Amino acid sequence: MGSRASITVLRSREELERLWRDARYRPEQIDHARARVRFVEAPGDRGTEIHVELEPGVSGGVLGEAVRKLRGTEPLAKAKDGLHRFKQQVETGVIARSDGAPEGQQLRRQLRQRPAQPLEHDELQRAGA
Amino acid sequence: MRANVWSGRNTVQVENVPDPQILNERDAIVRITATAICGSDLHLYDGYIPTVKRGDILGHEFMGEVVETGKGVSNLKTGDRVVVPFPIACGDCWACRHELYSVCENSNPNYGIAEKFFGHSTAGMFGYAHITGGYAGGQAEYARVPYADVGPLKIEDDLTDEQVLFLSDIFPTGYFGADLCDIRGGEVIAVFGAGPVGQFAIASAVMMGAERVIAIDQYDYRLQMAVNRARATDVINFSEEPDIVEQLKELTAGRGPDAVIDAVGMEAAHGHGALHALDRAKQATRAESDRPHALRDAILACRPGGIVSVIGVYGGLMDKFPSGAFMNKGLQLRAGQCHVHKYLKPLYEHVKQGHIDPSFVVTHRLELDKAPDAYEIFKHKKDDCVKVVLTP
Repeated sequence: MGSRASITVLRSREELERLWRDARYRPEQIDHARARVRFVEAPGDRGTEIHVELEPGVSGGVLGEAVRKLRGTEPLAKAKDGLHRFKQQVETGVIARSDGAPEGQQLRRQLRQRPAQPLEHDELQRAGA
Repeated sequence: MRANVWSGRNTVQVENVPDPQILNERDAIVRITATAICGSDLHLYDGYIPTVKRGDILGHEFMGEVVETGKGVSNLKTGDRVVVPFPIACGDCWACRHELYSVCENSNPNYGIAEKFFGHSTAGMFGYAHITGGYAGGQAEYARVPYADVGPLKIEDDLTDEQVLFLSDIFPTGYFGADLCDIRGGEVIAVFGAGPVGQFAIASAVMMGAERVIAIDQYDYRLQMAVNRARATDVINFSEEPDIVEQLKELTAGRGPDAVIDAVGMEAAHGHGALHALDRAKQATRAESDRPHALRDAILACRPGGIVSVIGVYGGLMDKFPSGAFMNKGLQLRAGQCHVHKYLKPLYEHVKQGHIDPSFVVTHRLELDKAPDAYEIFKHKKDDCVKVVLTP
């Protein structure tokens, strides 16, 4: 239960399977060697479900996992970020970036937001925007 | 640039901040010519919306002139005059394709925060805390507008800023509230709250063919505006007679209104007795985020089988939801942040045709630098304030 992440993307299964293999889309936040990925056609006109299951032990021990969970750097949090970014790239062509979260979706940044006001040039570069 | 930022509960200040830049190819930068303070900004000002942060630029009702576009924006060019909808929506996800723009699946980078509070993420919004994305708002000289190929409405005639500015939020929001009531002609609609959104809900219900529209507020000057400008047929001033439910029954010979619109939200002023005292105490200590008298009374007043439409903003949890009345009377509860994009063009057409002039709500005009004064005037309804427009 704790090692699964999923998302629904408004595209056909064939297209998503192709884009998942494409280096421009493939989520780098997921350790693909240690994750099982399934593509399932969603009901109705919803597109396709992507289910990711991380291999047990990928988190590195109970204590290590607890610490990383707090920081949002554990593999599962990163996998969720990766799925959201994949969905955004596929559906909209861009990553959603705000002033408070200029890097886009990052669970680890959510509790340490910068204020919602425009960034200085060097901050933008650090955020990869 | 100059911008109005939140700097603690009941405090805003106008500061110098960096100018916005294009971050994505679907962005545009708008030089703001007019911006307004919304009742929901007061929920932020008062500290009732979670995840607002010191330094956040406020404001989600704004319009202006395009000064820069990303290379993915082909429908706008420099110099275009635009009104910007307050929800930020990608236009491409399943929700947007079904015109559910305020629950866009892609525009909120802080989806994790929203999921914790609401179970799911909702759309990003300008100037509305980090739970809706942490986007800088429009009470500023410039704003970055994401997905500018989808949101902004081009204004291509000589209507004034004040006549089209409210297409950004309060006119569509009021219209949406009436739209949720399934008005076909001949209904009685009650509207809790004769603030700016309530005024547009009343005017919209009349435009849709409601036979009687009852405005409910505690301020005579707002009720007068509701009758004279929004064309309400009846009024209830609950500062004179607090039992709103009983008065609505009297006005409808016992039936109750066919639909009731809650245009009040989480900081209701009415309510009385022990329950009101309990809500105030719990909200003050943050044990209950929402003070929901309007919603409770709406459910109790609505006729059996009717519709309760919620467009007033709620932020978290409420106590003592009248579930017995809701269930046994067979009510429908409908709600939402307005899907503004859906209504922009048809409502702009209404304004162009002269069916309505939305500028009637404006009572105060100040420069952006006077934003701290403007918030105080608006919050305390000084000088019969209904709506404040700020100009950078």
